[in-house]
Amino acid sequence: MPDDAQSGSPGGGASSGFALAVDIGGTFTDVVLRHASGRAVTDKTLTTHTNLLTGFFRAVDLALGKAGIAPAAVTEVTVHATTLVTNAVIERRGPPTALLATRGFRDVLSIRNEHRYDMFDPQIEFPDPLVPDALVFTLDERMLADGNVAKPVDPLEAAAVARAMLAAGVRAVGICLLNAYRNGAHERAARDAIRGAAPGMEITLSSEVSPQIREYPRASTTVMNAYTQPIVAPYLAALFAELQRRGFPNRPLIMLSNGGVVGTSVAAAFPVRMIESGPAAGALAATYFSELLGLDRLLSFDMGGTTAKACLITDGKPLVAGEFEVDRRYRFKPGSGFPITIPAVDMIEIGAGGGSIARVDNLGLLKVGPRSAGSEPGPVCYGRGGTEPTVTDADVVLGLLDAERFLGGDMKLDRAAATAALGALGQRLGVDAVTAARGVFEVVCEQMAGAARAHATDRGIDWRGLPMLAFGGAGPVHACRVAELLECRQVVFPPMASVLSAFGTLVSPVRLDLVRSALAPLATQDWEAAQRLVGAMADEGRAALAEAGVPATDATLELAVDCRYRGQQNEVTAALPLAVLAAGDAAALREAFEHAYEALYGIRLPEVPVEIVTWRLAARGPLPLAAPSPAGGAAAAAPRTHRPVAVEPAMPVVPVYDRAALAVGQRIAGPVIIEERETTLVVLRGWTAGVHPSGAVIAEHAS
Amino acid sequence: MSSLDGIALEIQWSNLIATVTEQARALQRIAFSPIVREAGDLATALFDRRGRMVAQAVTGTPGHINSLAAAGQHFVREFPPDTLAPGDVLITNDPWLSAGHFFDITVMTPVFRGGRCIGFFGSTIHHTDIGGYGVGAGARDVHEEGLWIPLAKLYEKGVPNALLHAIIRRNVRTPEHVSGDLAAQVAAGRVGAERLNTLCDRSGFDDIEALSQAIIDRSEQATRESIRGLRPGTYHGESIFDVPGGLKVTLQAAVTVDAVAGELTIDFAGSSPEAAIGINVVLNYTAAYANFAVRACLDPDLPNNFGSLTPVRVVAPEGSIVHCRYPAPVNARHVVGMYVPMPVLKALHQVMPERVLAEGSGAVWTIQIQGRDDAGQPFTSSMFNYSGGMGARREKPGLSATCYPTGVAAVPVEVLEAAMPIVFTRKELRRGSGGTGRQPGGDGQCIGFRMRTSDPWLLNVVASRTDMGPEGLEGGGPGLPGRFLVNGRPVNEARKMAMQAGDEVLMETPGGGGYGAAEKMVQNPGERPE
Repeated sequence: MPDDAQSGSPGGGASSGFALAVDIGGTFTDVVLRHASGRAVTDKTLTTHTNLLTGFFRAVDLALGKAGIAPAAVTEVTVHATTLVTNAVIERRGPPTALLATRGFRDVLSIRNEHRYDMFDPQIEFPDPLVPDALVFTLDERMLADGNVAKPVDPLEAAAVARAMLAAGVRAVGICLLNAYRNGAHERAARDAIRGAAPGMEITLSSEVSPQIREYPRASTTVMNAYTQPIVAPYLAALFAELQRRGFPNRPLIMLSNGGVVGTSVAAAFPVRMIESGPAAGALAATYFSELLGLDRLLSFDMGGTTAKACLITDGKPLVAGEFEVDRRYRFKPGSGFPITIPAVDMIEIGAGGGSIARVDNLGLLKVGPRSAGSEPGPVCYGRGGTEPTVTDADVVLGLLDAERFLGGDMKLDRAAATAALGALGQRLGVDAVTAARGVFEVVCEQMAGAARAHATDRGIDWRGLPMLAFGGAGPVHACRVAELLECRQVVFPPMASVLSAFGTLVSPVRLDLVRSALAPLATQDWEAAQRLVGAMADEGRAALAEAGVPATDATLELAVDCRYRGQQNEVTAALPLAVLAAGDAAALREAFEHAYEALYGIRLPEVPVEIVTWRLAARGPLPLAAPSPAGGAAAAAPRTHRPVAVEPAMPVVPVYDRAALAVGQRIAGPVIIEERETTLVVLRGWTAGVHPSGAVIAEHAS
Repeated sequence: MSSLDGIALEIQWSNLIATVTEQARALQRIAFSPIVREAGDLATALFDRRGRMVAQAVTGTPGHINSLAAAGQHFVREFPPDTLAPGDVLITNDPWLSAGHFFDITVMTPVFRGGRCIGFFGSTIHHTDIGGYGVGAGARDVHEEGLWIPLAKLYEKGVPNALLHAIIRRNVRTPEHVSGDLAAQVAAGRVGAERLNTLCDRSGFDDIEALSQAIIDRSEQATRESIRGLRPGTYHGESIFDVPGGLKVTLQAAVTVDAVAGELTIDFAGSSPEAAIGINVVLNYTAAYANFAVRACLDPDLPNNFGSLTPVRVVAPEGSIVHCRYPAPVNARHVVGMYVPMPVLKALHQVMPERVLAEGSGAVWTIQIQGRDDAGQPFTSSMFNYSGGMGARREKPGLSATCYPTGVAAVPVEVLEAAMPIVFTRKELRRGSGGTGRQPGGDGQCIGFRMRTSDPWLLNVVASRTDMGPEGLEGGGPGLPGRFLVNGRPVNEARKMAMQAGDEVLMETPGGGGYGAAEKMVQNPGERPE
C-alpha cells in the first residue's frame, strides 16, 4: 500500500470540505456525504454481494452526484464499515486454512468448552469448524503457564509441517499454542520457520490477535482471522487503489467492532476486528446523540426488518464487551456460534424485527417470533408470497403504517391481505383482526423490553428509566411502548435514521483496543513487567493512530485492568490512571477495582485478595466534531392528514405530520404519527414530541 | 379475570419470565461459586401463595430446576404465607426437601402487596463450600457431608438472623464466599419482589392468584394433551453402569402412558438399593431428572411450572438408590442422578423413537486436586469436570466431548495451569470411542496430566462407566467404556487418593452409543488415522 497519500484529519479542525461514509450491510449499502457545515446528502443502494466494491462506488457516485461535487472535494475523512468479514465466515468463502496447535491438543476447535448450550433440546448442533480436521497440524513443543519453556520449538519440525500444509493446499494458518497468551515466543519461532519453508503463507499468531487466557476462544479467534485475511487484505487494497484512481485525496479509514476506526494496514492484519463494524457504527451514532443532548446514559434501540438490537451507552461511550459470537446455528441461542475474543460494541439481539411471525402456540397463547419472514418473502402486506402475519402486518392493520406511503410511496402495501392474515390469527384467539394486531404489537414490545432488561442486568446496569434512541425502519414505530415498559420517560428519534450506521462512522474516533492477559496476584505483581507490557501496547496503539493520521500529540491512551477476587472467575474491568501503573500503586489499583465491583454488585469483599487478569489499553484520537445538521421548516407545521389508529381500543383519529416539515422548537402532544420516508414515528398518548435544533425529534412522557 | 385471554396472559406471563430471568442473570454474574458462573448451576423461580411454581428462568442444570419446584411446597407448609412479615427471608439446604445435597442452598423471599404475602421468589445455587467432607462421595453418612440448614428464617422483618449467619460462617471453609453468595440470593429476591409489584400496579392486580391459576391450568392442559398423543401402555428401560469403587448400579424405569388422563408415571422399581458411599439420590432429584428427560422429548418448548410437572408422576421404592432415606450419604448424587434419564429414554424410545437419543457417557467426570506447590504453599483446586460422548440421535450423530443430561462447560486447560502447578499432557478426542451406527455416537476424550510439584498430592476423581460402555439403539453399536489410569494402571477408587510427585494421570471418557444398524460401520466424523 503506497504511503504517499495524505490521511484526513479525523480530529477535525477548521475545514470546509466534505467527509464521506459508506456502510455496507447485508441488504443495503448506505452512504453519507457530509459537509463541515453539517449539511448532508444521504442515499442507499442494494448491496452487491458478488463484488461489494461495485455497490460501494455506486453509492458514492449517487451521493457525489446529488451534492454536485468531485472526489477531490472530499478533503475530510473517508470512512468505511462493512459486513464483508462476517459474510466470508457465514458463507465459508475463505481459502483452505490450517490450525497449528500444541501436540496433544489438536481437537481444541471441536471439543470447544464442552458446553451444551441448550439444556432442553437434545437435537442441537454446532457449526462446522472453519478448519477441517485434516488441516489441523501439531508441534511437539510446550510453553508453561508461567512463561517458561518446557520443550522448545524444533524449527526443522515446524518447516516440515509447513511443507505438509503446502502439500495440502493450505494458504493461511492460525498458530495457537498453549499458554502463548503468556509468552508468544514459540508462536513466533513457528512463524519464522513456516515463512522460511512456505513463503507467501498468510500467518496469524494467537499471541498477536488475541493474547488472552482460555485456549478455545483464542484458537477460534485466531483461525477466523487467518481464514478471512486472504479475502480482506486484497479487498482493502482494491478499495484504496480505486479511491486513489478516482482522485479521492485521502486514505480510507476502516471501522472496527469496538467503535473506533483505523487505517487499512492495521485492519488488513487483523480482519477479525472488523466483524461487527456496521452495528458498532450505529452505536457510535447513538453515542454522538448522547453527548449532543447531554444524556450520560442511553439505550439504543435499532429495529429493522429482520432484527432488533439494543446497546447501552454510558458516560458517552458504548459498552464494549470482550467476546461475541459469529455464525450462530440458532440465532437467539448464545453458545451456538464461534466465540471471538475481540473488543466489540456490546450489542445484543432483542428480537427478530418487523418480519417476526405471529402465531398461536399449543397453550393458546399469542407468540411473536423467533421465526421471521425476513425480507424474502417478507410480511404478508409486501405481497411477495408471505402468508403468515408479521409485526409489520399488525402495524399496517393498526394504522401505524400508511399502506400508500411506505418508503415514500415507492412500495405499496396490501392492507387487505394483512387484515385477512391477522383475522385468521384472531380467530384462533377468539378476537377480531384489529384486536389480534394490537396483541401482536403489545407482545412484541413486551418481549423486546424483557430482553433489554436481561441484557442490562447482565451488564450490571439498572435499566429503569434509561432514555432511548430509536432508529431502524421499525424502531420508531414501537419505541414509545417499549420505553413505557422500561419505565423510560424520553425517546430520541435521530435525523438520518435510515443511514445512521454510516453517519456513525463519521463521528467515530480513531481507536484501537489492545488486550494482554498477565495473570498475577495483586500482592505480588511485578510492576516493572507490567509497565513493559503496557509500554509495548502503547507503542502498537500509537503506531496505529499514526497510520490513521492522528498526530502523537492528539493521541489519548486509556488504561483499564480486568481484576477479580481470588476464587471468582469472572473479571470486572476498572479504568486506571496510567500514573497508578507508573507508581506501582497496589492500593490505588485495588481501590479502582473495588469501586467498579461495588458499582456492579453493591458489595466489597475487603478480606479477599485481588488478582489481576488482563491489561487493556485503548489508544484513541479526538472525537470528530460534527456540527448537527440543520432541520426542518421555519414555521410550525400543520398535520398533513388524520387517520384512525387502533393502538388504543377506542381507535382515535390521530394527526399525521411530515417530519421534514416540522420546525425546530415545535411541540406536538400524542397520540400523533410523524412520517418520514423510511420510518414512522409513533408517539403515544401521554407523550409529547418536540423538535430539537439538531433535527432530532424528542418525545417525553408526561409523568 | 376473564380478561386473561391468550393475548393478555402472554403479556403478563412473559413479564414474569423476564423477571425471573433478570434474577438469574444477576445471580450468575455475582456468584463466587465457579460452577454457578461457568455452568449456570442455579435456578430461580416465582411461586404463588400456595408454593406452586409459576414461572422459571431457563438456566443451568435439570437437577436444580425441577427440585426447586418441589421445595416451594415445603416452605409454605412450614411457614404459611399469612404468618410471614415483610422483610422475612427463608432458607434451607435440606437434601430431602430441595436439591439433594448440602452444597445447594435454597433461599425464598416472600413478596408483599398491601401487607399481604402474594407469592415468593426462590433461588437455588451451588455454594463454594458447606463444611464437612467436601467434594466427593467418601462420607459414610449425610452428617459427615457438612452443615445441615433446616427450613429456617435467614432474615426476620428485615433483621438478619445473627445466630444462623454465625453458624453458617463458622461451619464453612470459605465464609466470605458463602456469605457473599447468600447476600446475592437475598438481593435478587428483593429485586424480583419489586418487579412483581410493578407488574401488579400496571395490570391493576391485588395479587397473582388468577394469573397463577391461568398459567398453571394452561400448562397442565398442554402437557396432558401432548401425552395423550402417545400410544398407551407401559414401557420398560434399563441402564447399568459402574461408579467409583467398582459398584454396579442398575436403574430400571417403567414408563406408563395413560392416554385418557394424559398422565405419565415413571416407576423406578427394580433399581439398585442405597449405596454405602455418597452417590444416593433423594426422590426430588430423581424426579427432577426423570421429568427433564420426558419434557425434552415431549416438547422442549413446554413451559416448566407446577402445572406442567403435575401430569408426570415419579415413584421409586424407598431405600432404593433413587429414593434414599436419612441418613444415607448424598454428596455426589449427580453421579447416579445424571444416569436417571437413560432408562427413561430407552423406555420412551418405544413410543417416540425420533425424539430420544441413544445412551451416552452419562455423568461428567469430576476432579479435585489438593497439594503443596514448590514454595510450600498449599492449594485446593475448585472442582472441574470433563465430558464423554453423547448418544446418537435418529437423524444426527452424537456430539463429541459433550454431556447429556447436564451441559456444564469444562474449565480451560490454561485456566487450570495458571491456577495450580498442573501440566496437561493431552486433551483430545478419543477417536473411535463413539459407537458405530447409521448415526454414530459422540466420541469421548483423552485427558492426561501430571503435577509440577515435588511433594505428594491428593487426587479425587469421580469417574463412572468404566466397565461397560453406553448401549446403542436399534442395532447401533455401544460406545467404549471409560478408562482411568495412574501410571498406566487402571484404578477404581471412591475416595481421595494419595499421589506421588511424577505420577501420570490419564482419563479416557466413554463414547456415546450409536443409533441404527450401520450398513457400513460409520464412525464419528473427524475419525482419521494418526
